This record gives sequence, structure tokens and C-alpha cells, in this order.
Amino acid sequence: MHWIALQPELAPVGALDDLTDPVTALGWWALRYTPKVARTGDVLLLEVAASARLWGGLPALLQHILTSNQPVALNKYAQAATSLIALAQLAVAPSSPTQPVNGLAVDALPVHTLAAATPHLDTLSRLGIATWGQLRVLPRGGVSRRFGAALLDALDQAYGLRPDLYPWLVLPEVFEASLELTSQVESAPALLFAARRLLAQLRVWLQLRHRGVLALELIWQMDERRHTAHQGTLRLRTAQPTQDASHLQRLLGEHLAHVRLPAPAHTLRLRTLETSVLGNTSASLLPDAVSTGDSLAQTVERLSARLGANQVLQLQPRQDHRPEQMQAWPPAATQLIAAYAIDKRTRGQNSLKNASQPVATVGAPRPRADVSKRIAAPLALWAQPLYPTWLLQVPIHLAVRQQQPQYQGPLTLLAGPQRLESGWWGGGEMALRDYFVARSAQAGLLWIYRERLHRSGAAAATDEPDASWYLHGLFA
Amino acid sequence: MALRAVSVDFEEVNGFGDAVWRADALARHASPAGVVASGHVVLDAELPGGGWPVGALCEILQTYSAQSEWRLLLPALCAAQKPAANLGGASWVALIGSPHVPFGPALAAHGLDVQQLLWVKAQAPAERLWAAEQALRCADVAAVLAWLPQVQAAHLRRLQMAALTHAKLLFVMRPAMAQHASSPAVLRLLLLAQGAGFNAKLEPGALNVQVLKRRGPPLACTLILPARAVDLSALFGLCAGAAPVVSWAGTERKAITLERHHALDSFAA
Repeated sequence: MHWIALQPELAPVGALDDLTDPVTALGWWALRYTPKVARTGDVLLLEVAASARLWGGLPALLQHILTSNQPVALNKYAQAATSLIALAQLAVAPSSPTQPVNGLAVDALPVHTLAAATPHLDTLSRLGIATWGQLRVLPRGGVSRRFGAALLDALDQAYGLRPDLYPWLVLPEVFEASLELTSQVESAPALLFAARRLLAQLRVWLQLRHRGVLALELIWQMDERRHTAHQGTLRLRTAQPTQDASHLQRLLGEHLAHVRLPAPAHTLRLRTLETSVLGNTSASLLPDAVSTGDSLAQTVERLSARLGANQVLQLQPRQDHRPEQMQAWPPAATQLIAAYAIDKRTRGQNSLKNASQPVATVGAPRPRADVSKRIAAPLALWAQPLYPTWLLQVPIHLAVRQQQPQYQGPLTLLAGPQRLESGWWGGGEMALRDYFVARSAQAGLLWIYRERLHRSGAAAATDEPDASWYLHGLFA
Repeated sequence: MALRAVSVDFEEVNGFGDAVWRADALARHASPAGVVASGHVVLDAELPGGGWPVGALCEILQTYSAQSEWRLLLPALCAAQKPAANLGGASWVALIGSPHVPFGPALAAHGLDVQQLLWVKAQAPAERLWAAEQALRCADVAAVLAWLPQVQAAHLRRLQMAALTHAKLLFVMRPAMAQHASSPAVLRLLLLAQGAGFNAKLEPGALNVQVLKRRGPPLACTLILPARAVDLSALFGLCAGAAPVVSWAGTERKAITLERHHALDSFAA
């Protein structure tokens, strides 16, 4: 058995750029060295005897712990054969990461460093007992009668006669952390400062789990004295799993800017709704052409968060003959999420949400080339070289003078008509149109149509005096 | 003699790299990140480096009524989406604040990958600038097209810096009125209304381009780029009864330059 006690450097209360729970975060981090990590108060206890050989011996392991990149700076540490000795050494003769200190002999440790002896310190001092050694030589029966069995048990544990048992720290399956705000927060954007600490904690958890977050939820509890909602929620969804706390923070900031708090908030809680395995990219030995900048998903998410998801659009081809129905522009953010879901399914990757289901698709992953080929074939048919490059959102009604449509002057018809009769089965507007390519002296080539009135009989369309003309596109 | 000596010296030393070029010649490299060929032979010949500079702001000035940005830019945008372009494999094209709806079927017919088109419908000038800068910072975006009717030179400079830092193609569409205002753009082109100043019936699809600013001597003449799609020209040929006969349909895009003046004529006028 070999125990290491670690004490993190605790920032003063109210420091902003801090983890919500530094000791737990350090504990999660310490799980990489040994599965036996326990927390007592502000101190972490690590039992490292079993994993020492893996790390190349105890000195190498200790060196690694002290020099590697911890989420929280270490303040002091101590090591000993049992956990209670390590704790006592930490209190009496702690080593700092830069300066190791040889601890006291076990028998010379003062009694007050034994937690079980704290209620009896006065009696013990009147008995003239100052150290563990003096306490240990007292007759066991008398000690047990006078101080209770707990002190003897602790002493046995300290000397390695009883096993050291602790509730070991485990990394939770779902991240959930809450933070009580030091003062009541009136405005939603100010919540971001507190949320930063939760996000820092989330990052530690994600790194240890080797996962990226896909969806998370920020919940704030509000003042209950007012007759308004007591709780507010903000859900955030990313297109690709990410560990990037700064990206999440910016997204959260953009979303919080739109939120209004009906009452001051006093508690903040963050939890993950969905996470996914993050595929690590292997680094190259040779200098690589590293693409700097954000990924498309990050950019789209940030744009959508500030401008609104309906302002950041991606094209989706549709099969229709009506020009306005040939393409849809759904929000790019939802498109990216859908694309990632398809991609993930084809690769047979499972996320935490459906981790319990058996992975059936691994055996026959669909190759990506097939998917792209299936899309490419209709696209070639869908492309229309004779159509204009700009489409007007709403067709402009054109004035007609002497049976000639006018748009910044008279229009000359160059080509047409292209007859369109579509949409009669419902689902949108019925279109009975004759399209022409027209030239305007000012505006260049235009795409205009004449609406044929839906009228039966021979006098239907062509020679109508008041045929209505519309401008629908520009050959830009 | 002294002048000659200085000139020789300059040729020999040339320690300034691409930042300095002789006044009577085009800069050899428009930008450190290279160029993307514009797809118009006439224009390429007059652009420093032979194409649109990557990592620099290109301003395209045009009147609101006569918009022809797609004809001018589509060949370059298609080339930029290819992995061979020197844009680091990025293939998305971002449109910021376009005046109308981009029509996918026509753009796809010209060779643009419309699945990689991002359309940002920002309205306010500040939003457009912000969105354009964000798009430039994205590693997957190859080219940004921004329509900025109202913009200050200081804001354009910021976009120019962003394009330079991230080595993207950046085209800013501005009204023709802005040609007299100063601008930090590396390249400024004025698209003239069709039919202005010459017989429009000859070239129904031609683009008239004036190079207002480039890294090189000022260009006085107007470039005429045959830029109409071949299919559309063929259609007009078929409808010849109703339309002016299009004689150059399907022919190779070749140089047609009218009235080549001396460069200094424009200042005398």
C-alpha cells in the first residue's frame, strides 16, 4: 500500500475564472493514475501501489503527478504507507511540488492530526499524551473504555492493522454540476460569468471520458418570492461533438443574450443531455498543413445563435417544376445536425444516449461514396442552365403598356414561351405560367412570366388584353 | 543615367518581395496566398498574378438595376470549390446579405456545388459585417460574397485584414456610386450597365468591366467579357426571329477589347 495525499490550491471565494468544484475536478483528473481516489474534505487520497509499476515506479509516478498539467494547481502533498499517515504528514510536514520534505516518524506525529482523536484532545493533553506513539503504548482495554472503539480502530488503520476503506470517487455517467451564485443575478447575460466555471468543469469531465458534448442544458433557479416562473432552461445543441469550452461559452453567450429573466436567479445548474465519442485525430510527425480557423459547424452555430437559425440557410434541392419550389432553404444548423446523425449511423458509432442498444450496424457499414453518388445523379437532372441565377422572393407585378410589359422601360422578349402547368394537385399554389426571357435596356436579361388565368375554353390565355406579367428572376 | 542605375539596382535587389512593383507593370503576385483564375481570359490578362487574389478584398461596384455578379464570379467560385485550388481544401461559399434568392438549379448548371452554399440573410449593415468576418474565420469556407451597400472604409479594412489572415477569397458588392470613395480594396472593378456606350446588340451577354484599382498601372479601357452561358446563347440563336442574332454562341471566349486608350487619357478627360 502506498498513499499520496494531495491538496489543491483553492482560489479565494468569488474568483471568477475558476472551477465550481476544484477538488472534484482534481479527483477526476487523478483517476488516470489509479482507480482508487477518495476525497476527504479538501484533500484527495490516492492509493497508487497497484499502478506504480505501470508508471515506472513510485518516484516516476509522483513526478508525473506533480509535473503534468492539472486542472487545478497543486498546493502541497504528502505520501506514506497508509492513508491516515499521509493525511497527518500533509497537516504537519507537507511537501510542496517544488520542495519535497521528509516527514516525521510515525510515532512522533502529533495526536491532533488523527481525526478520530479530535473530540478527546483535551483529555489526552491532560494525560500527557502528545504523539501517536504515546497513545499506542497505552493499554487497549483502557483506551477502548475511556475513548470508545473508534479511536482504537483509527489507530489500527493508521498503523496498517486494519484495511483502509473509502468510498472511491467515480466519474459520473452524465455530467451534472450546480453552482450557487454568490449574489443574485438580474440579467441573463450576466449568468454567463457563472456558467463559465461550470463549463470549465464540463471540459475536465469530457476530456476524461474522451467524449464530446452534443447537447447540454443550463438551468437556473430563480427567486421564488415573486409570482413568476421559478426555473428557466436553455438547451444548446451542437452539430458535432465538441470539447471546446470556449466555443460552448460563445454559443451560450449568444443564446443568453436573447433571454430575459423574470426574477433574479440564485442557482445555476449545467448538465449534459447527449454526448458522443470523440474521434481523436492522430498528429503527424512531419509539420502538417494545419487549417486554422473554426469549423463550419462552429461558424454556423455562432451565426445562427446571433442572427437566428432562420437567417443562416443551406440549399436543399427539391423535385418540382415550379421554380420557387425547386429549392428549399432550411436552416443550416439543423441540416448539419441531420448530416452528422446520418454520418454517425453509417459509421456505426454509438452515443451515450443509445449506448445500451447493441451496435448492429458495425458489421455492414454503408460506404460514403454510395451516398454521394445517390445524391449526385438527381442533381445533374435538377440543374437548369436556362434558368436565371437570381430568383425574386416575391414575383414583381409588371405594368403593361401597349401590350408590352414594362420594367424600367419596355421589355423585349428574347425567348419563350416556356409553358409551366403544375401544382394542381395541391400543396402550394397552382401555377399556370408562360415564362419568357426578356431584355431590358437598363436591367439586362430578365426572367418574366405571364400568368394564364385558370379558365376553360378557347379564350384562355394567349391574346388576353389584361394578361398579368410578373418578374421572377434575373440573369445576373 | 542615374535613373537607369536606380532601376537596375531595384531589379537586382528587389528585397521588398511582392510588396513593391514597378509603376508600368503589373505586380507579379497579387497576394502571398496566390490567385484563383477568374475564368475570363481577358480579365485574367489584366489582373495582377492572373486571377482573383486570395486573401484580399475585391470590390465589385455595380448599379442596383444591372446586377451581373454571378456571371463575373461563377467560374472562379467553381474553381475555388475544387480541391486543387490553393485554399486549403475549403469548399464552402458563403453569401452574406444577397439582394435576391440564389437560384440553385441555375447555379448548379454552371458548375457550382450548391450543397456547399451558405446563405446568410443578415439585414443590418453591422450584422452583415459581423457575419462576413465570422465566415472568413471559418476554415471550411473558400469564398465569401458580401453585399454591403452601406459600409465605411474602416470596416472594409477590417474585412481586408480578416481575408488576409485567413487566406480566403472575399468579394464585396457595392453600389456604383461608391467608386469615388476611397477603399482599402486591393482590386476594384466597376461593372457597367449593359448597353452603355456601345452597341448592345452585338453582345447580349457581354460584361463591361472597368478596372478602377489594381496593383499595377491604371487601365483606361473597358474590358468586354463574353460571359453568357453557351446554352442560353444557343436558345437565343434558336429564337433568332424574335431576338438579335447571337453570332458568337458556342465559340471560344476570346479577347474583345474596344478602344484601347492610353492609361493617362482617363485623367485628362
